[in-house]
Amino acid sequence: MRKLGTHWIPAVILPFSLAVICLGWWMTNWFAVAGGVTGICYVVPWVVPFGRVRRKKEERVAAKPAVGRSVKRAPADPNDTDALVEQMLAQGRFALLLRAQIAETLSKVHFRRTLEALDDAMTLVPDGEVVLGRIDEALNDGKLMPEEIIAGGGRVIRVERFFLDRFPVTNREFHEFTSSGGYEQMALWDRSVLPAVLDFVDHTGVPGPRFWRDGCFPPGEENHPVVGISWYEASAYARWLGKRLPSDAEWVKAGSWPMSLAASTPSVAKRMQRKYPWGDTMDRGRANLWGSGPDRTIPVEASPDGVSVGGVHQLIGNTWEWIGGDFRGGDHPEGELELPTPMKSIRGGAFDTYFDNQATCQFQSGENPLSRKHNIGFRCAVCVCDLTLARDNTATAEPRARQENLEQPKPEAEEVPV
Amino acid sequence: MTMPAIQPLESYRLAQYAVPLRCYICETDNTFDAEFCTHCSAPMALAHQANVRKVHPQMIAVLGASGAGKTVFLGMLLDMLARKPERMQLLARGAFSITLQQATLSALSRCEFPAKTPNEPDRWNWVHCEARRTGQHKPVELIVPDMAGEAVLEEVNHPHTFRVVRAFLAKCTGAMVLTDAVKLTDGTREQDHFTMKLLTYLSELGGGGKSGWARRPVAMVLTKADQCEERLADPDAFAQTHAAGLWQHCRERFGRHKFFAAGVSGTCAYRESIAEGRVQVPLRVEPHGIVEPFEWLMENLPVKKR
Repeated sequence: MRKLGTHWIPAVILPFSLAVICLGWWMTNWFAVAGGVTGICYVVPWVVPFGRVRRKKEERVAAKPAVGRSVKRAPADPNDTDALVEQMLAQGRFALLLRAQIAETLSKVHFRRTLEALDDAMTLVPDGEVVLGRIDEALNDGKLMPEEIIAGGGRVIRVERFFLDRFPVTNREFHEFTSSGGYEQMALWDRSVLPAVLDFVDHTGVPGPRFWRDGCFPPGEENHPVVGISWYEASAYARWLGKRLPSDAEWVKAGSWPMSLAASTPSVAKRMQRKYPWGDTMDRGRANLWGSGPDRTIPVEASPDGVSVGGVHQLIGNTWEWIGGDFRGGDHPEGELELPTPMKSIRGGAFDTYFDNQATCQFQSGENPLSRKHNIGFRCAVCVCDLTLARDNTATAEPRARQENLEQPKPEAEEVPV
Repeated sequence: MTMPAIQPLESYRLAQYAVPLRCYICETDNTFDAEFCTHCSAPMALAHQANVRKVHPQMIAVLGASGAGKTVFLGMLLDMLARKPERMQLLARGAFSITLQQATLSALSRCEFPAKTPNEPDRWNWVHCEARRTGQHKPVELIVPDMAGEAVLEEVNHPHTFRVVRAFLAKCTGAMVLTDAVKLTDGTREQDHFTMKLLTYLSELGGGGKSGWARRPVAMVLTKADQCEERLADPDAFAQTHAAGLWQHCRERFGRHKFFAAGVSGTCAYRESIAEGRVQVPLRVEPHGIVEPFEWLMENLPVKKR
């Protein structure tokens, strides 16, 4: 038998009391009115707590950390090539489709669409030399003479042309990786880190970035850069896309956009290299740094004024970016550093970076590759030589023209003595 | 043979010498041109300013073991509140008040920590500033010195060694007690014990009753949180786990206390120095949790009756 509980008491007494009040008022019987009021007074303590409980329940539901929603794709039929290609394009895995072995098998339409996706998401950084090291003082002069590079302990690196993501990897993009089982695909992970992969979980114990819940990012942050990921997670994601993390030289080249000016004699040859993607002076309005932003990450397409010459956004500020190379601490003004753990390089500064001189294209910091910090994200790169950008009789005019400028594959970076 | 000479009689100097100037910290009489108090070595500039401006600043102590990060915390706090006065504003009074901020920020911008605070009280940096919260019309005048941890420990172990420490702490209206969270996680109880000693000293210093330390706000700040970030999401739980004695002590002796976590450097490395040995080096500066303890302290400071 169903228990009635006590809910019926106010439901009966309240209308009865109101009826008595009305009747008493009509008959000018004040005793009846008083009796009705007493009835209502008796009922009020029953009704109010229910309201409170309901409100509290609603508050609890509102306070419950909701998670952002993202489309979870059904696995495509492995025999249906078109569906597979469509899915890979939707996941942003166009770099894989442009690998020589796969690109040859793509239909004309798919190949064109893949090239369009590449153009939309990545920018081409031309080949050339870039100066790394302690050259801040020389950069302040607006030029880099060879002797200044040597005096500052700098080094000249030659970089081959490559594609770099226009924006840092967002939560929504990374969710494609987690929802397609990226954390379970052991082939994507470095063998040395396999035991640690089980520890790469979110607040609720689900594989994913540290600050997510139930395998999904916080609501409203789908276009924010993904943070709370280790260097290994960033590398695995890049591998899943058919890309890689940029090298130090590549990252600096994309931001500082160096140029060598022609000179009559080699001894006076000048190198121009920007301190910031937009020029040589700090403009805090162009980057999300401490004191110039909301003290947290912002969407990747925000602060468009901070774009580099080549069209790369948010290289400075918002989040530090994992770099493929090691951090050795060699550029510290006081000499060599002793690192407590092996570290990977990070660059660009974050929303909580305090000093302007630590948010330049040149500044390099380091972090334990297993750290999953609130202010470190990443973007990916891929060598032009690794992609098929044109095919006989199938390619569009644009990629064919681009292909004409390409040379044979070369090593990623070549160090040139000054 | 002697030559006659005319020596001007600066009688106004004699008059000034005749009126002693009372040290703002220990209330000992000093001559008007003394730079530091002859008794406690506190700067006499504090007394001059109090006299000229006719205000009586409140005093806040920043305490902690040597190497806990007091100088960095205080220097960073002053600079952050001066640069971004959205929630609270700090304005320095007197040029000497900016020295600490200048030295700390100059070192951090070069990816170095500032030099260790010397033990001699006359070489400490004192900050006299004006704090104003958003929506508050009348600012609060504050005096906050950067005291050496070893000097405080010496005074705690051997009372009256450093008179300035005792005189200052007796007058303080609140304190921020810094503890190195990394050392706490290492399992060495040194930090725990030092902080307990300090708190015991404090609780016995101000006497009981309404004006005692039991009623004064104490912000317990776990520093270097950036190096054990994941474990410091809940500072109170962290203290309960890693510094149980300290946590209990605070509960029993200090009615108004709260645990905070703070960090300034993102990651640290080490450097070998001929003069200083193995020195810690910040790889970048990204302050967290610096302003919150101070804000809480200001909210809980006793309101001065006019």
